[in-house]
Amino acid sequence: MGTRREALTVEWVKLELLRTAYATRGGMLARRDPRFVIGWYLVFAVVPWLTHNITVLLGLFAVCAAAVVLSRVGPLVLGLFLLGFVLESLYVLFAAWFFDGDAATALALAELTLKLATVSLASMAAFVSLDPERLSDALLSLHAPAMLSFGVSYGFRMLPVLMEEFHTVVDGYRLRAAPPGPRGVLGWRVVLRTGTTVVNAFYPLILNTAKRTRTTVEALETKGFTYASEHPDGRRIRLAYLAADRWDVLLIAATLALVAACFGLGHHWPLYGTAG
Amino acid sequence: MSEPAAPARRSDPRTRSGPPQLNRSQKLMVFVLSMTLFGLANILTEVLPEIRIGPVELSVSYLAFVPVLMASLFHPLYAALGAPLGEIVFVDLLMGDFSGIGELEGYLQLFLGLYIAGCLVRDPRRRGQVFTASVTAVAVDKLLSAVVDIGKVMVGVEDAEYVAGLPESILLLEGVGFTTDLVISGVLFGALPAMAMAPRLYGKVEPLLGMAPRDPARPAPLAERGTGAFLLTALLLAFVSMIAAFTSGIVDNFGVWEPGFIDRYGQRFLWVGVSAACLVLIALVVSVRYLVHARRERAAQDAGAGRGEGRR
Repeated sequence: MGTRREALTVEWVKLELLRTAYATRGGMLARRDPRFVIGWYLVFAVVPWLTHNITVLLGLFAVCAAAVVLSRVGPLVLGLFLLGFVLESLYVLFAAWFFDGDAATALALAELTLKLATVSLASMAAFVSLDPERLSDALLSLHAPAMLSFGVSYGFRMLPVLMEEFHTVVDGYRLRAAPPGPRGVLGWRVVLRTGTTVVNAFYPLILNTAKRTRTTVEALETKGFTYASEHPDGRRIRLAYLAADRWDVLLIAATLALVAACFGLGHHWPLYGTAG
Repeated sequence: MSEPAAPARRSDPRTRSGPPQLNRSQKLMVFVLSMTLFGLANILTEVLPEIRIGPVELSVSYLAFVPVLMASLFHPLYAALGAPLGEIVFVDLLMGDFSGIGELEGYLQLFLGLYIAGCLVRDPRRRGQVFTASVTAVAVDKLLSAVVDIGKVMVGVEDAEYVAGLPESILLLEGVGFTTDLVISGVLFGALPAMAMAPRLYGKVEPLLGMAPRDPARPAPLAERGTGAFLLTALLLAFVSMIAAFTSGIVDNFGVWEPGFIDRYGQRFLWVGVSAACLVLIALVVSVRYLVHARRERAAQDAGAGRGEGRR
Protein backbone atom coordinates (compact mmCIF):
# COMPACT_ATOMS: atom_id res chain seq x y z
CA MET A 1 0.00 0.00 0.00
CA GLY A 2 2.81 2.37 0.91
CA THR A 3 4.68 1.99 -2.36
CA ARG A 4 1.48 2.29 -4.33
CA ARG A 5 0.67 5.59 -2.69
CA GLU A 6 4.07 6.94 -3.59
CA ALA A 7 3.69 5.92 -7.22
CA LEU A 8 0.26 7.54 -7.49
CA THR A 9 1.26 11.18 -7.19
CA VAL A 10 -1.07 13.89 -8.39
CA GLU A 11 1.52 14.94 -10.94
CA TRP A 12 1.64 11.44 -12.44
CA VAL A 13 -2.16 11.19 -12.61
CA LYS A 14 -2.35 14.58 -14.29
CA LEU A 15 0.22 13.66 -16.91
CA GLU A 16 -1.48 10.32 -17.52
CA LEU A 17 -4.85 11.99 -18.07
CA LEU A 18 -3.37 14.53 -20.45
CA ARG A 19 -1.61 11.77 -22.33
CA THR A 20 -4.93 9.95 -22.75
CA ALA A 21 -6.70 13.07 -23.93
CA TYR A 22 -4.12 14.27 -26.42
CA ALA A 23 -2.59 11.04 -27.70
CA THR A 24 -2.57 10.66 -31.45
CA ARG A 25 -5.23 8.22 -32.41
CA GLY A 26 -5.17 5.93 -35.38
CA GLY A 27 -6.59 2.72 -36.76
CA MET A 28 -8.91 1.51 -39.45
CA LEU A 29 -11.98 3.63 -38.68
CA ALA A 30 -10.08 6.80 -37.73
CA ARG A 31 -9.28 7.62 -41.35
CA ARG A 32 -12.85 7.19 -42.58
CA ASP A 33 -15.43 9.94 -42.83
CA PRO A 34 -16.72 10.36 -39.25
CA ARG A 35 -20.33 10.40 -40.46
CA PHE A 36 -19.91 6.95 -41.93
CA VAL A 37 -18.24 5.77 -38.72
CA ILE A 38 -21.31 6.88 -36.79
CA GLY A 39 -23.47 4.98 -39.30
CA TRP A 40 -21.30 1.90 -38.86
CA TYR A 41 -21.72 2.17 -35.10
CA LEU A 42 -25.49 2.62 -35.35
CA VAL A 43 -25.79 -0.64 -37.32
CA PHE A 44 -24.16 -2.58 -34.51
CA ALA A 45 -25.94 -0.65 -31.79
CA VAL A 46 -29.39 -1.50 -33.15
CA VAL A 47 -29.14 -4.90 -34.86
CA PRO A 48 -28.34 -7.02 -31.75
CA TRP A 49 -31.64 -6.02 -30.15
CA LEU A 50 -33.64 -7.34 -33.11
CA THR A 51 -32.89 -11.01 -32.56
CA HIS A 52 -32.88 -13.64 -29.85
CA ASN A 53 -30.82 -16.10 -31.89
CA ILE A 54 -27.53 -16.73 -30.09
CA THR A 55 -25.73 -17.84 -33.28
CA VAL A 56 -26.44 -14.46 -34.90
CA LEU A 57 -25.29 -12.68 -31.75
CA LEU A 58 -22.05 -14.67 -31.68
CA GLY A 59 -21.39 -13.69 -35.29
CA LEU A 60 -22.03 -10.01 -34.61
CA PHE A 61 -19.81 -10.19 -31.54
CA ALA A 62 -17.00 -11.69 -33.63
CA VAL A 63 -17.32 -8.92 -36.25
CA CYS A 64 -17.14 -6.22 -33.57
CA ALA A 65 -14.20 -7.90 -31.85
CA ALA A 66 -12.33 -7.97 -35.16
CA ALA A 67 -13.12 -4.28 -35.65
CA VAL A 68 -11.76 -3.50 -32.18
CA VAL A 69 -8.51 -5.30 -33.01
CA LEU A 70 -8.24 -3.41 -36.32
CA SER A 71 -8.87 -0.10 -34.57
CA ARG A 72 -5.87 -0.64 -32.28
CA VAL A 73 -7.73 -0.10 -29.02
CA GLY A 74 -5.24 -0.01 -26.15
CA PRO A 75 -4.85 -3.08 -23.93
CA LEU A 76 -5.79 -1.10 -20.81
CA VAL A 77 -9.21 -0.05 -22.11
CA LEU A 78 -9.85 -3.54 -23.46
CA GLY A 79 -8.73 -5.25 -20.24
CA LEU A 80 -10.95 -3.07 -18.07
CA PHE A 81 -13.88 -3.75 -20.38
CA LEU A 82 -13.40 -7.53 -20.23
CA LEU A 83 -12.95 -7.57 -16.46
CA GLY A 84 -16.06 -5.45 -15.96
CA PHE A 85 -18.18 -7.68 -18.15
CA VAL A 86 -16.99 -10.96 -16.62
CA LEU A 87 -17.52 -9.69 -13.06
CA GLU A 88 -20.92 -8.21 -13.87
CA SER A 89 -22.26 -11.41 -15.43
CA LEU A 90 -20.82 -13.49 -12.57
CA TYR A 91 -22.73 -11.40 -10.04
CA VAL A 92 -25.97 -11.67 -11.97
CA LEU A 93 -25.42 -15.42 -12.37
CA PHE A 94 -24.80 -15.80 -8.66
CA ALA A 95 -27.89 -13.79 -7.80
CA ALA A 96 -29.98 -15.80 -10.29
CA TRP A 97 -28.74 -19.05 -8.73
CA PHE A 98 -29.69 -17.65 -5.32
CA PHE A 99 -33.24 -17.14 -6.59
CA ASP A 100 -33.57 -20.70 -7.98
CA GLY A 101 -32.38 -20.14 -11.51
CA ASP A 102 -31.42 -23.00 -13.87
CA ALA A 103 -29.69 -23.62 -17.19
CA ALA A 104 -32.30 -21.54 -19.03
CA THR A 105 -31.43 -18.59 -16.81
CA ALA A 106 -27.75 -18.96 -17.65
CA LEU A 107 -28.51 -19.06 -21.39
CA ALA A 108 -30.75 -16.01 -21.12
CA LEU A 109 -28.00 -14.16 -19.30
CA ALA A 110 -25.48 -15.22 -21.93
CA GLU A 111 -27.79 -13.74 -24.57
CA LEU A 112 -28.07 -10.45 -22.71
CA THR A 113 -24.32 -10.28 -22.05
CA LEU A 114 -23.58 -10.93 -25.71
CA LYS A 115 -25.87 -8.10 -26.77
CA LEU A 116 -24.43 -5.59 -24.33
CA ALA A 117 -20.86 -6.65 -25.13
CA THR A 118 -21.43 -6.30 -28.88
CA VAL A 119 -22.77 -2.78 -28.51
CA SER A 120 -19.88 -1.79 -26.22
CA LEU A 121 -17.29 -3.26 -28.57
CA ALA A 122 -18.83 -1.40 -31.49
CA SER A 123 -18.70 1.93 -29.65
CA MET A 124 -15.11 1.23 -28.63
CA ALA A 125 -14.01 0.40 -32.17
CA ALA A 126 -15.79 3.44 -33.59
CA PHE A 127 -15.04 6.16 -31.07
CA VAL A 128 -11.82 5.38 -29.19
CA SER A 129 -9.71 5.99 -32.25
CA LEU A 130 -11.72 8.90 -33.60
CA ASP A 131 -10.47 12.44 -33.03
CA PRO A 132 -12.99 14.24 -30.75
CA GLU A 133 -13.22 17.31 -32.97
CA ARG A 134 -13.92 15.22 -36.08
CA LEU A 135 -16.56 13.32 -34.17
CA SER A 136 -18.23 16.51 -32.98
CA ASP A 137 -18.18 17.92 -36.52
CA ALA A 138 -19.86 14.76 -37.75
CA LEU A 139 -22.54 15.13 -35.10
CA LEU A 140 -22.93 18.78 -36.11
CA SER A 141 -23.45 17.77 -39.72
CA LEU A 142 -26.16 15.38 -38.52
CA HIS A 143 -27.87 18.43 -36.99
CA ALA A 144 -26.78 17.97 -33.41
CA PRO A 145 -26.91 21.24 -31.41
CA ALA A 146 -24.03 23.61 -32.17
CA MET A 147 -23.29 23.78 -28.45
CA LEU A 148 -21.94 20.22 -28.55
CA SER A 149 -19.17 20.99 -30.97
CA PHE A 150 -18.42 24.25 -29.17
CA GLY A 151 -18.14 22.29 -25.92
CA VAL A 152 -15.69 19.85 -27.47
CA SER A 153 -13.46 22.57 -28.87
CA TYR A 154 -13.58 24.53 -25.63
CA GLY A 155 -12.91 21.48 -23.47
CA PHE A 156 -10.07 20.35 -25.69
CA ARG A 157 -8.30 23.67 -25.14
CA MET A 158 -9.23 24.38 -21.54
CA LEU A 159 -8.55 20.97 -19.98
CA PRO A 160 -4.83 21.47 -19.19
CA VAL A 161 -5.42 24.98 -17.80
CA LEU A 162 -8.23 23.79 -15.55
CA MET A 163 -6.30 20.82 -14.26
CA GLU A 164 -3.27 22.99 -13.54
CA GLU A 165 -5.46 25.42 -11.65
CA PHE A 166 -7.11 22.68 -9.63
CA HIS A 167 -3.71 21.28 -8.73
CA THR A 168 -2.53 24.71 -7.56
CA VAL A 169 -5.60 25.18 -5.38
CA VAL A 170 -5.22 21.73 -3.81
CA ASP A 171 -1.54 22.39 -3.15
CA GLY A 172 -2.47 25.66 -1.50
CA TYR A 173 -4.87 23.85 0.82
CA ARG A 174 -2.28 21.25 1.70
CA LEU A 175 0.36 23.89 2.42
CA ARG A 176 -1.90 25.82 4.75
CA ALA A 177 -3.39 22.80 6.51
CA ALA A 178 -1.88 21.14 9.57
CA PRO A 179 0.26 18.09 8.84
CA PRO A 180 -1.79 14.87 8.64
CA GLY A 181 -2.26 13.00 11.92
CA PRO A 182 -2.70 9.25 12.44
CA ARG A 183 -4.35 7.35 9.58
CA GLY A 184 -7.12 5.80 11.63
CA VAL A 185 -8.84 2.46 11.06
CA LEU A 186 -8.59 1.50 7.35
CA GLY A 187 -7.22 5.00 6.76
CA TRP A 188 -10.60 6.66 7.22
CA ARG A 189 -8.93 9.91 8.24
CA VAL A 190 -7.03 9.94 4.95
CA VAL A 191 -10.26 9.36 3.03
CA LEU A 192 -12.02 12.10 4.95
CA ARG A 193 -9.13 14.50 4.47
CA THR A 194 -8.92 13.83 0.72
CA GLY A 195 -12.66 14.18 0.35
CA THR A 196 -12.89 17.50 2.18
CA THR A 197 -9.87 18.88 0.34
CA VAL A 198 -11.34 18.01 -3.06
CA VAL A 199 -14.70 19.51 -2.11
CA ASN A 200 -13.19 22.65 -0.58
CA ALA A 201 -10.99 23.21 -3.60
CA PHE A 202 -14.10 23.73 -5.66
CA TYR A 203 -15.04 26.91 -3.82
CA PRO A 204 -12.23 29.08 -5.24
CA LEU A 205 -12.41 27.11 -8.47
CA ILE A 206 -16.06 28.01 -9.03
CA LEU A 207 -15.33 31.72 -8.55
CA ASN A 208 -12.22 31.67 -10.76
CA THR A 209 -13.94 29.70 -13.51
CA ALA A 210 -16.89 32.10 -13.41
CA LYS A 211 -14.58 35.03 -14.10
CA ARG A 212 -12.78 33.16 -16.86
CA THR A 213 -16.06 32.05 -18.43
CA ARG A 214 -17.31 35.62 -18.56
CA THR A 215 -14.16 36.76 -20.32
CA THR A 216 -14.36 33.92 -22.82
CA VAL A 217 -18.04 34.35 -23.60
CA GLU A 218 -17.80 38.11 -23.98
CA ALA A 219 -14.86 37.72 -26.35
CA LEU A 220 -16.79 35.09 -28.31
CA GLU A 221 -19.93 37.19 -28.53
CA THR A 222 -17.93 40.22 -29.66
CA LYS A 223 -16.78 38.11 -32.58
CA GLY A 224 -20.35 37.04 -33.29
CA PHE A 225 -20.07 33.48 -32.05
CA THR A 226 -23.74 32.58 -31.60
CA TYR A 227 -24.69 34.24 -34.86
CA ALA A 228 -22.00 32.36 -36.77
CA SER A 229 -22.86 29.02 -35.23
CA GLU A 230 -26.53 29.40 -36.10
CA HIS A 231 -26.10 30.86 -39.55
CA PRO A 232 -26.18 28.27 -42.37
CA ASP A 233 -23.10 29.80 -44.04
CA GLY A 234 -21.01 29.43 -40.90
CA ARG A 235 -22.07 25.83 -40.59
CA ARG A 236 -21.29 25.12 -44.25
CA ILE A 237 -17.80 26.59 -44.01
CA ARG A 238 -17.04 24.69 -40.86
CA LEU A 239 -18.16 21.35 -42.26
CA ALA A 240 -16.76 21.79 -45.77
CA TYR A 241 -13.80 19.50 -45.12
CA LEU A 242 -16.02 16.47 -44.46
CA ALA A 243 -16.06 14.43 -47.64
CA ALA A 244 -16.92 10.79 -48.21
CA ASP A 245 -15.00 8.66 -50.68
CA ARG A 246 -15.64 5.19 -52.12
CA TRP A 247 -13.90 3.51 -49.16
CA ASP A 248 -16.59 4.87 -46.86
CA VAL A 249 -19.33 3.43 -49.04
CA LEU A 250 -17.39 0.17 -49.18
CA LEU A 251 -17.20 0.14 -45.39
CA ILE A 252 -20.96 0.38 -45.03
CA ALA A 253 -21.56 -2.18 -47.78
CA ALA A 254 -19.13 -4.65 -46.18
CA THR A 255 -20.77 -4.12 -42.79
CA LEU A 256 -24.23 -4.79 -44.16
CA ALA A 257 -22.95 -7.90 -45.97
CA LEU A 258 -21.37 -9.20 -42.76
CA VAL A 259 -24.56 -8.60 -40.79
CA ALA A 260 -26.55 -10.41 -43.48
CA ALA A 261 -24.05 -13.29 -43.34
CA CYS A 262 -24.52 -13.50 -39.56
CA PHE A 263 -28.26 -13.74 -40.00
CA GLY A 264 -27.78 -16.38 -42.70
CA LEU A 265 -25.64 -18.47 -40.34
CA GLY A 266 -28.23 -18.04 -37.61
CA HIS A 267 -30.96 -19.20 -39.96
CA HIS A 268 -29.06 -22.41 -40.77
CA TRP A 269 -27.89 -23.25 -37.25
CA PRO A 270 -30.30 -21.55 -34.88
CA LEU A 271 -29.66 -21.57 -31.12
CA TYR A 272 -32.18 -19.94 -28.85
CA GLY A 273 -31.81 -18.84 -25.23
CA THR A 274 -35.21 -19.97 -24.05
CA ALA A 275 -36.25 -23.39 -25.25
CA GLY A 276 -39.65 -23.38 -26.90
CA MET B 1 -14.30 48.18 -18.05
CA SER B 2 -17.39 48.80 -20.07
CA GLU B 3 -19.51 45.76 -20.76
CA PRO B 4 -21.13 45.12 -24.11
CA ALA B 5 -23.40 42.48 -22.55
CA ALA B 6 -24.98 44.48 -19.76
CA PRO B 7 -27.17 42.44 -17.41
CA ALA B 8 -30.81 42.62 -18.34
CA ARG B 9 -31.93 43.73 -14.90
CA ARG B 10 -35.29 45.36 -15.11
CA SER B 11 -36.51 48.01 -12.76
CA ASP B 12 -40.16 47.70 -13.70
CA PRO B 13 -41.99 44.94 -11.84
CA ARG B 14 -43.12 42.41 -14.41
CA THR B 15 -46.62 41.15 -14.31
CA ARG B 16 -45.41 37.64 -15.09
CA SER B 17 -43.78 35.96 -12.10
CA GLY B 18 -40.58 33.94 -12.43
CA PRO B 19 -36.91 34.79 -12.54
CA PRO B 20 -35.69 37.63 -14.76
CA GLN B 21 -34.91 36.69 -18.35
CA LEU B 22 -31.28 36.22 -19.25
CA ASN B 23 -29.77 37.66 -22.38
CA ARG B 24 -28.00 35.51 -24.92
CA SER B 25 -24.48 35.80 -23.59
CA GLN B 26 -25.63 35.23 -20.02
CA LYS B 27 -27.29 32.00 -21.06
CA LEU B 28 -24.08 30.96 -22.77
CA MET B 29 -22.07 31.88 -19.66
CA VAL B 30 -24.22 29.77 -17.35
CA PHE B 31 -24.10 26.91 -19.83
CA VAL B 32 -20.32 27.04 -20.28
CA LEU B 33 -19.61 27.48 -16.57
CA SER B 34 -21.78 24.53 -15.63
CA MET B 35 -20.25 22.40 -18.40
CA THR B 36 -16.66 23.22 -17.48
CA LEU B 37 -17.00 22.71 -13.75
CA PHE B 38 -18.89 19.45 -13.99
CA GLY B 39 -16.47 18.18 -16.62
CA LEU B 40 -13.54 18.89 -14.32
CA ALA B 41 -15.37 17.27 -11.40
CA ASN B 42 -15.92 14.18 -13.53
CA ILE B 43 -12.25 13.92 -14.42
CA LEU B 44 -11.52 13.93 -10.69
CA THR B 45 -14.08 11.18 -10.14
CA GLU B 46 -12.31 9.10 -12.76
CA VAL B 47 -9.17 9.35 -10.63
CA LEU B 48 -10.80 8.69 -7.24
CA PRO B 49 -10.43 5.01 -6.28
CA GLU B 50 -13.40 2.72 -5.87
CA ILE B 51 -13.95 -0.12 -3.48
CA ARG B 52 -15.88 -3.21 -4.54
CA ILE B 53 -17.32 -5.56 -1.96
CA GLY B 54 -18.85 -8.24 -4.13
CA PRO B 55 -21.57 -6.70 -6.29
CA VAL B 56 -21.72 -3.65 -4.01
CA GLU B 57 -19.62 -0.92 -5.54
CA LEU B 58 -18.63 1.83 -3.13
CA SER B 59 -17.55 4.51 -5.55
CA VAL B 60 -18.28 8.14 -6.23
CA SER B 61 -20.20 8.11 -9.48
CA TYR B 62 -20.04 11.89 -9.73
CA LEU B 63 -19.50 14.93 -7.54
CA ALA B 64 -23.16 15.86 -7.56
CA PHE B 65 -22.75 19.04 -5.54
CA VAL B 66 -21.13 20.91 -8.45
CA PRO B 67 -24.04 20.77 -10.91
CA VAL B 68 -26.60 21.06 -8.10
CA LEU B 69 -24.93 24.28 -6.96
CA MET B 70 -24.99 25.59 -10.53
CA ALA B 71 -28.64 24.69 -11.01
CA SER B 72 -29.69 26.21 -7.70
CA LEU B 73 -27.68 29.43 -8.02
CA PHE B 74 -28.22 30.16 -11.72
CA HIS B 75 -31.02 29.57 -14.16
CA PRO B 76 -31.88 25.87 -13.78
CA LEU B 77 -32.54 25.21 -17.47
CA TYR B 78 -29.17 26.37 -18.82
CA ALA B 79 -27.20 24.96 -15.90
CA ALA B 80 -28.93 21.60 -16.31
CA LEU B 81 -28.36 21.62 -20.08
CA GLY B 82 -24.66 22.33 -19.63
CA ALA B 83 -23.62 19.97 -16.86
CA PRO B 84 -24.26 16.58 -18.53
CA LEU B 85 -22.56 17.87 -21.67
CA GLY B 86 -19.47 18.55 -19.55
CA GLU B 87 -19.36 14.90 -18.61
CA ILE B 88 -19.70 13.80 -22.22
CA VAL B 89 -17.09 16.24 -23.53
CA PHE B 90 -14.43 16.08 -20.83
CA VAL B 91 -14.58 12.45 -19.80
CA ASP B 92 -16.15 10.49 -22.61
CA LEU B 93 -14.92 12.27 -25.72
CA LEU B 94 -11.52 13.46 -24.56
CA MET B 95 -10.69 10.28 -22.64
CA GLY B 96 -11.90 8.11 -25.51
CA ASP B 97 -14.78 6.54 -23.63
CA PHE B 98 -17.68 7.71 -25.81
CA SER B 99 -20.45 5.15 -25.85
CA GLY B 100 -22.77 6.39 -28.59
CA ILE B 101 -26.46 6.11 -27.81
CA GLY B 102 -25.69 5.40 -24.15
CA GLU B 103 -24.48 8.99 -23.80
CA LEU B 104 -27.83 10.32 -24.96
CA GLU B 105 -29.76 8.44 -22.29
CA GLY B 106 -27.25 9.54 -19.63
CA TYR B 107 -27.60 13.14 -20.77
CA LEU B 108 -31.38 13.12 -20.58
CA GLN B 109 -31.42 11.44 -17.16
CA LEU B 110 -29.02 13.90 -15.57
CA PHE B 111 -30.63 16.87 -17.30
CA LEU B 112 -34.03 15.95 -15.94
CA GLY B 113 -32.69 15.40 -12.42
CA LEU B 114 -30.79 18.68 -12.33
CA TYR B 115 -33.59 20.73 -13.85
CA ILE B 116 -36.09 19.48 -11.29
CA ALA B 117 -33.53 20.02 -8.52
CA GLY B 118 -32.78 23.57 -9.64
CA CYS B 119 -36.47 24.45 -9.75
CA LEU B 120 -36.98 23.12 -6.22
CA VAL B 121 -34.57 25.66 -4.74
CA ARG B 122 -36.28 28.99 -4.10
CA ASP B 123 -33.57 30.42 -1.88
CA PRO B 124 -30.03 28.93 -1.98
CA ARG B 125 -29.33 30.23 1.52
CA ARG B 126 -31.89 27.81 2.97
CA ARG B 127 -29.92 24.59 3.57
CA GLY B 128 -32.98 22.35 3.71
CA GLN B 129 -33.96 23.24 0.16
CA VAL B 130 -30.44 22.60 -1.13
CA PHE B 131 -30.42 19.23 0.64
CA THR B 132 -33.72 18.23 -0.95
CA ALA B 133 -32.52 19.40 -4.34
CA SER B 134 -29.29 17.38 -4.23
CA VAL B 135 -31.01 14.19 -3.16
CA THR B 136 -33.74 14.71 -5.76
CA ALA B 137 -31.23 15.25 -8.56
CA VAL B 138 -29.32 12.05 -7.83
CA ALA B 139 -32.48 10.07 -7.13
CA VAL B 140 -34.13 11.06 -10.43
CA ASP B 141 -30.95 10.38 -12.41
CA LYS B 142 -30.20 7.02 -10.83
CA LEU B 143 -33.81 5.87 -10.83
CA LEU B 144 -34.12 6.55 -14.54
CA SER B 145 -30.82 4.79 -15.26
CA ALA B 146 -31.94 1.75 -13.25
CA VAL B 147 -35.15 1.70 -15.24
CA VAL B 148 -33.22 1.89 -18.51
CA ASP B 149 -31.08 -1.05 -17.38
CA ILE B 150 -34.16 -3.06 -16.52
CA GLY B 151 -35.66 -2.10 -19.86
CA LYS B 152 -32.56 -3.43 -21.61
CA VAL B 153 -33.05 -6.78 -19.90
CA MET B 154 -36.71 -6.81 -20.89
CA VAL B 155 -35.94 -6.09 -24.53
CA GLY B 156 -32.77 -8.15 -24.69
CA VAL B 157 -34.05 -11.42 -23.26
CA GLU B 158 -37.03 -13.22 -24.71
CA ASP B 159 -39.88 -13.15 -22.16
CA ALA B 160 -37.56 -11.99 -19.39
CA GLU B 161 -40.29 -12.17 -16.77
CA TYR B 162 -40.60 -15.90 -17.29
CA VAL B 163 -36.94 -16.85 -16.90
CA ALA B 164 -36.55 -18.31 -13.41
CA GLY B 165 -34.62 -16.06 -11.05
CA LEU B 166 -33.77 -13.38 -13.62
CA PRO B 167 -36.15 -10.56 -12.63
CA GLU B 168 -35.41 -10.91 -8.91
CA SER B 169 -31.65 -10.86 -9.38
CA ILE B 170 -31.67 -7.88 -11.75
CA LEU B 171 -33.94 -5.96 -9.41
CA LEU B 172 -31.76 -6.84 -6.43
CA LEU B 173 -28.58 -5.64 -8.13
CA GLU B 174 -30.21 -2.45 -9.39
CA GLY B 175 -31.69 -1.75 -5.96
CA VAL B 176 -28.33 -2.18 -4.25
CA GLY B 177 -26.63 0.06 -6.81
CA PHE B 178 -29.34 2.72 -6.44
CA THR B 179 -29.02 2.77 -2.66
CA THR B 180 -25.23 3.08 -2.56
CA ASP B 181 -25.30 5.77 -5.25
CA LEU B 182 -27.92 7.72 -3.35
CA VAL B 183 -25.91 7.60 -0.13
CA ILE B 184 -22.45 8.27 -1.56
CA SER B 185 -23.10 10.53 -4.55
CA GLY B 186 -26.38 12.00 -3.34
CA VAL B 187 -25.62 12.76 0.31
CA LEU B 188 -21.87 12.53 1.01
CA PHE B 189 -20.68 14.15 -2.22
CA GLY B 190 -23.94 15.88 -3.08
CA ALA B 191 -26.10 17.28 -0.32
CA LEU B 192 -23.52 17.92 2.39
CA PRO B 193 -21.02 19.94 0.30
CA ALA B 194 -23.83 21.73 -1.52
CA MET B 195 -25.45 22.73 1.77
CA ALA B 196 -22.14 24.11 3.00
CA MET B 197 -21.28 25.96 -0.18
CA ALA B 198 -24.56 27.35 -1.53
CA PRO B 199 -24.94 30.07 1.15
CA ARG B 200 -21.26 31.03 0.78
CA LEU B 201 -21.47 31.33 -3.00
CA TYR B 202 -24.86 33.06 -3.02
CA GLY B 203 -24.41 36.69 -3.96
CA LYS B 204 -20.71 36.20 -4.76
CA VAL B 205 -20.63 34.19 -7.94
CA GLU B 206 -23.64 35.70 -9.70
CA PRO B 207 -22.15 39.23 -10.00
CA LEU B 208 -19.08 37.69 -11.63
CA LEU B 209 -21.35 36.68 -14.51
CA GLY B 210 -23.18 39.99 -14.36
CA MET B 211 -26.42 38.63 -12.97
CA ALA B 212 -28.62 39.31 -9.99
CA PRO B 213 -28.72 36.58 -7.34
CA ARG B 214 -31.80 34.39 -7.28
CA ASP B 215 -34.73 36.20 -5.76
CA PRO B 216 -36.78 34.01 -3.39
CA ALA B 217 -39.86 36.08 -4.18
CA ARG B 218 -39.68 35.11 -7.87
CA PRO B 219 -39.06 31.37 -8.00
CA ALA B 220 -38.55 29.46 -11.21
CA PRO B 221 -41.70 27.54 -11.94
CA LEU B 222 -41.08 23.85 -12.56
CA ALA B 223 -41.91 24.39 -16.20
CA GLU B 224 -42.73 27.54 -18.07
CA ARG B 225 -45.74 26.03 -19.72
CA GLY B 226 -48.34 23.52 -18.75
CA THR B 227 -47.15 21.22 -21.52
CA GLY B 228 -43.67 21.03 -20.06
CA ALA B 229 -44.92 19.97 -16.63
CA PHE B 230 -47.28 17.51 -18.25
CA LEU B 231 -44.47 15.99 -20.30
CA LEU B 232 -42.22 15.62 -17.29
CA THR B 233 -44.98 13.88 -15.38
CA ALA B 234 -45.78 11.69 -18.34
CA LEU B 235 -42.15 10.66 -18.71
CA LEU B 236 -41.81 9.80 -15.03
CA LEU B 237 -45.07 7.89 -15.08
CA ALA B 238 -43.98 5.96 -18.17
CA PHE B 239 -40.80 4.87 -16.45
CA VAL B 240 -42.58 3.99 -13.23
CA SER B 241 -45.12 1.95 -15.15
CA MET B 242 -42.29 0.08 -16.87
CA ILE B 243 -40.90 -0.88 -13.46
CA ALA B 244 -44.35 -1.85 -12.33
CA ALA B 245 -44.83 -4.05 -15.38
CA PHE B 246 -41.55 -5.77 -14.69
CA THR B 247 -42.20 -6.37 -11.01
CA SER B 248 -45.72 -7.61 -11.64
CA GLY B 249 -44.13 -10.51 -13.49
CA ILE B 250 -42.59 -11.56 -10.19
CA VAL B 251 -45.60 -11.00 -8.00
CA ASP B 252 -48.16 -12.62 -10.25
CA ASN B 253 -48.36 -16.32 -10.66
CA PHE B 254 -46.69 -17.25 -13.91
CA GLY B 255 -49.33 -19.74 -14.94
CA VAL B 256 -52.11 -17.19 -15.18
CA TRP B 257 -51.38 -16.17 -18.73
CA GLU B 258 -51.75 -18.58 -21.59
CA PRO B 259 -48.35 -19.48 -23.04
CA GLY B 260 -49.62 -19.30 -26.62
CA PHE B 261 -50.78 -15.79 -26.03
CA ILE B 262 -47.31 -14.78 -24.88
CA ASP B 263 -45.67 -16.52 -27.81
CA ARG B 264 -47.78 -14.64 -30.25
CA TYR B 265 -48.01 -11.24 -28.63
CA GLY B 266 -45.27 -11.00 -26.01
CA GLN B 267 -42.69 -9.71 -28.41
CA ARG B 268 -45.06 -7.25 -29.94
CA PHE B 269 -46.02 -5.91 -26.53
CA LEU B 270 -42.37 -5.26 -25.80
CA TRP B 271 -42.06 -3.27 -28.98
CA VAL B 272 -45.14 -1.28 -28.08
CA GLY B 273 -43.48 -0.37 -24.79
CA VAL B 274 -40.20 0.53 -26.39
CA SER B 275 -41.78 2.66 -29.06
CA ALA B 276 -43.92 4.41 -26.45
CA ALA B 277 -40.79 5.24 -24.47
CA CYS B 278 -39.09 6.48 -27.65
CA LEU B 279 -42.08 8.65 -28.47
CA VAL B 280 -42.03 10.19 -25.00
CA LEU B 281 -38.30 10.88 -25.32
CA ILE B 282 -38.72 12.48 -28.74
CA ALA B 283 -41.59 14.57 -27.43
CA LEU B 284 -39.42 15.71 -24.54
CA VAL B 285 -36.58 16.72 -26.84
CA VAL B 286 -38.93 18.58 -29.17
CA SER B 287 -40.60 20.37 -26.29
CA VAL B 288 -37.26 21.41 -24.77
CA ARG B 289 -36.13 22.74 -28.13
CA TYR B 290 -39.42 24.56 -28.50
CA LEU B 291 -39.05 25.99 -25.02
CA VAL B 292 -35.53 27.23 -25.69
CA HIS B 293 -36.61 28.65 -29.03
CA ALA B 294 -39.59 30.43 -27.51
CA ARG B 295 -37.41 31.94 -24.81
CA ARG B 296 -34.91 33.09 -27.38
CA GLU B 297 -37.65 34.70 -29.44
CA ARG B 298 -39.01 36.47 -26.41
CA ALA B 299 -35.56 37.61 -25.34
CA ALA B 300 -34.95 38.91 -28.85
CA GLN B 301 -38.24 40.80 -28.77
CA ASP B 302 -37.45 42.26 -25.37
CA ALA B 303 -33.99 43.29 -26.44
CA GLY B 304 -35.32 44.70 -29.69
CA ALA B 305 -37.94 46.73 -27.86
CA GLY B 306 -35.56 47.83 -25.13
CA ARG B 307 -32.47 48.78 -27.08
CA GLY B 308 -33.89 49.33 -30.50
CA GLU B 309 -31.60 46.78 -32.14
CA GLY B 310 -33.68 43.99 -33.61
CA ARG B 311 -32.30 40.50 -33.89
CA ARG B 312 -33.48 37.88 -36.28
